[in-house]
Amino acid sequence: MFADILITGLVNGSTYALLAVGFSLIFGVARIVNIAHTAFYMVASYCIYTATYKFGLHPVVGMLIGVVVVTVFGVVTYRIFIAPVREHEAVVLIATIALAMALQEGMLLMFTGDYLSVPHLIPGFTILLGVKVFYQHVLTFAAVVVILGGLHVFLSHTRLGLAIRATAQDREVANLMGMNEGRIATITVGLSLALAAFTGAVIAPLSIVEPFMWLHPLIMMMAAVVLGGLGSMKGSFYAAYILGFAEAIIVFTVPMGAFLKGSVALSVMILVLLVRPEGLFGIAFEEER
Amino acid sequence: MVRYWLRKLLVIFQKEILVLPSRMAVLVFFLLLLGLPLVSDDPYLLRILILTSIFAIFAASWDLLSGFTGQVNFGHALFFGVGAYASAILHKSAHLPPGASIPIGAIAAVLAGLIIGIPCLRLKGTYLALTTLAFPIILMGVVFAFPSITGGELGISGLQRLARSNQANYYIHVIAMLVLCTSMWKITDSKMGIIFHAIREDELAVKAAGINTTRYKLTAFCLSGLFAGIAGGLYAHYMRIAGPSCLEVGLSFQVVIWCIFGGVVTIWGPVGAVFFLFPLLELFRFWPEYRMLMFALVILIFLLYMPEGIFPWIRDKLENDCPRCKVRNHAARKTCRVCAAPMH
Amino acid sequence: MKKAFFMAMACCALIGWSGSVWGADTIKIGVIGPMQFVQGKGHWNGATMAADEINAKGGVAVGGKKMKIELVKADSNEFINVTDATNAMELLCTRDKVDFIVGGFRTEAVLAMQDIAMDSKKIFIGCGAAHPELCTRVAENYDRYKYFFRGTPFNSNFLVKTCFIQMAYVGGVLKQQLGLEKIKVAIVAEKAVWVDPMIAAAEGFIPKMGMEVAGVWRPSPVATDVTAELSAIQSSGAQMVLALFSSSVGIPFARQAGELKIPAAIVGINVEAQKSGFWQATQQMGNYVTTINTYCEGVEYNDLTKPFMDEYIKRYNEPPTYTADTYTAIIYALVPAIEKVGSLDPDKLVAFMETDEHLVPSGKAAYMKDDKGRHLHDLVWGPGYLTALGVQWVDGKQVGIWPYKWKASETAPEITYKGIVPYTIAPWVIEAHKKK
Repeated sequence: MFADILITGLVNGSTYALLAVGFSLIFGVARIVNIAHTAFYMVASYCIYTATYKFGLHPVVGMLIGVVVVTVFGVVTYRIFIAPVREHEAVVLIATIALAMALQEGMLLMFTGDYLSVPHLIPGFTILLGVKVFYQHVLTFAAVVVILGGLHVFLSHTRLGLAIRATAQDREVANLMGMNEGRIATITVGLSLALAAFTGAVIAPLSIVEPFMWLHPLIMMMAAVVLGGLGSMKGSFYAAYILGFAEAIIVFTVPMGAFLKGSVALSVMILVLLVRPEGLFGIAFEEER
Repeated sequence: MVRYWLRKLLVIFQKEILVLPSRMAVLVFFLLLLGLPLVSDDPYLLRILILTSIFAIFAASWDLLSGFTGQVNFGHALFFGVGAYASAILHKSAHLPPGASIPIGAIAAVLAGLIIGIPCLRLKGTYLALTTLAFPIILMGVVFAFPSITGGELGISGLQRLARSNQANYYIHVIAMLVLCTSMWKITDSKMGIIFHAIREDELAVKAAGINTTRYKLTAFCLSGLFAGIAGGLYAHYMRIAGPSCLEVGLSFQVVIWCIFGGVVTIWGPVGAVFFLFPLLELFRFWPEYRMLMFALVILIFLLYMPEGIFPWIRDKLENDCPRCKVRNHAARKTCRVCAAPMH
Repeated sequence: MKKAFFMAMACCALIGWSGSVWGADTIKIGVIGPMQFVQGKGHWNGATMAADEINAKGGVAVGGKKMKIELVKADSNEFINVTDATNAMELLCTRDKVDFIVGGFRTEAVLAMQDIAMDSKKIFIGCGAAHPELCTRVAENYDRYKYFFRGTPFNSNFLVKTCFIQMAYVGGVLKQQLGLEKIKVAIVAEKAVWVDPMIAAAEGFIPKMGMEVAGVWRPSPVATDVTAELSAIQSSGAQMVLALFSSSVGIPFARQAGELKIPAAIVGINVEAQKSGFWQATQQMGNYVTTINTYCEGVEYNDLTKPFMDEYIKRYNEPPTYTADTYTAIIYALVPAIEKVGSLDPDKLVAFMETDEHLVPSGKAAYMKDDKGRHLHDLVWGPGYLTALGVQWVDGKQVGIWPYKWKASETAPEITYKGIVPYTIAPWVIEAHKKK
């Protein structure tokens, strides 16, 4: 059972980590709580479904198409609907909610509410530590390591990464230093959405593709981000794994209560926040930024 | 004696209400709502307006908490659901009539407000928003864990309505809405309301001024819970069923959309928004597949042009503040009605 | 804003009013269901097929004159929003002024919609919700709820019974073909209220059949990953899984069980497995999964089944699911009742319908009474009436596997419907358990 918990926790945690880091990126740089983040992940899954099922392409090709489509579409939508109202935080919030609803309805229109699925990138399973693990699960974990490692390298060793980190730390001063803050925000949005699309590609084979698939990951992702501390990518990463393991522990130790895993993970988040209101790695006194 | 009061009423009407388009609009709104059953007895129309009134109370309660004190609550459906389930359980198990189960159910919602208000005291901004999102989800897990009490996914059915006839129901709900929303507005217009405004603007300053913000923040949670709980109880009894759909994330998001669309930090903004958006959604029934999509697009487009909310935007077009005495005047006036200063 | 709103509502009223004037010589039947989903599409397709068939014959003979059927489509959106569903029902009853209503699926919504239809005293034939409460209301408050009849499926108590009989049958096949002494059954049921009594019943029934309960697992109805449960089931040594799912978890369960080649035969109730999209949804891994279903291509209950299925497949390119029994409700229940009674009066129709037995494509429909002798307007279950089928997915197609030489009791005749084939055990199950 310990092996089960370990494997399941790693896989779940990887899923949430991919989503949470993308969300944190947008929040840290552009101060946008992007409720539509997982909705874009849903769009990417549908892209892959269309590519593999309707056009018979290889899943990897479908993945690339999904990433490109979602990134372009997302950046365009951002420029039209969100960028003009960026200063009103409350408005941005519900604009993203409305956007997520619009995407959901769009998918419902195009694909109806039927449950669909996407083939595994690598079919089959293997036995690790006595537990049957799908290759897709291993791929997910590997993908997280590669992508997040790549992101870390990008952010710390390139000029653009430096600009993004600077804007995240202090927007006004970054602007004063000559970095075009609006453009950085757009680039970050694109990057974050590409992450979400990639997540869709990696996780969609493990779940069911339907127009409402974005709601549950949204909750868990936001819980991970809040637990880790808003704006802190390191925090989101660790918190995602904490929540993933919390869920795995519940599923294995209380088999009758497997449906409670969402509630328990959220309770963990609330308990931590009671002790440390800015999350594990967050910054108190954010107004000072 | 009567003539004295009638004349006084007429003076108030002329001097206070007639001068401002926004107040006239509110008066017309009251009259239209109260007078509607006299011209039409279409059950569908009455039903839509009853549901709109219930959701208007709900939306106004969100504004009271999140708009005025700035504690953005993304889990407002919790109060609604607690109110609905509590009044349903009281009605079915303790056999209380709806007139009693709804207020007592609302008290359960107040307790819920206290329970979630306390952990949220130290949280700010987005942390608070996302934490409050978690509460209705946790409660939904509890609802499914005890199906013998809560009916699980089927909910509690077989509840009775407040009144038999459609007209009587309509009047009860509309008058409840008007009374409750007016009380909420009066609360914000009182000393407590000023403190709420202040807490939103700068909590540190309020604390420095010696005011116990904890008490006021908790009061806001409890008041908001009370009104939302009443809305929940009314909903459960009108629909004759209280189910897990009262706790859904979608409902929490809906109320945030209504309030911000209508204009936060007013009470009339969300009420107006619900009266605009809810029937609009029903109207969109003509295009069943595109309904929600059109709804989302309407919201997105309106927000682009009126980020402060639609009703404040309209009001700003119709009225101006006098630069000297800050009293509102309608836009066509050249000089202020109180201090006669020029209006530009 | 408000003026625009009232203008718009006035337009709606005008359209609604003109609609009712134009439809004065037609029988209006409202079809309400989640039209964006398979269940609602089934409702609408079945009803449309019925209406077209009747109208092609000239209409319904009501008293002296012939009246055509006019269908009114109402999207209840019941999966998303129960308020919406009730508003849609209210629209049908008071604005569109329909004469009859068929449809409904999600029990929480149907309970609320039933109240509204009863307010307007309209006959409402429920085609999708199996909860017994819908009909116990009829018995307890006859005068108010008598206008409700259950069209499909039979109620969940009978569902349990059928499910257990199928499980016993498959257990017998396993025992015989694999030479097993005692079958261990793992009960996997989604965490939902409708399932709770079934689990208790199963835990009592399985030992009586000479089998053993290996354990009970309750995944979330919308879980997407059940590998945890599956590995636990494998470790418990179960050779059969009693799966009780009505929500989306049925798909990943079947898919992952197939991918991981769990050595257990899966039987039970899996609503997702009833749909034709199941094969793609499980990436063709849901092989050998068995579930209760009402219709299956190639299986005939009686002479009415084949024409119905052929026509449906011809029109809609897929076999009907049980919600398409709106067809049955209209053609075999409502219309003959109207023609025999000679009027549209709901009270007279109710009095006729509740004692009328008639053949339907899935057997024979009759309405039962409860043990106090009160009318329930619920469907009778049993050989000669309605029994449903057990279907199994074999290489991309649904085949009927039950009733296969089934005797309901010692003295009952043996039943095998036309087109039923023997059960197929999955090759990996045979490999894992066959002795030598």
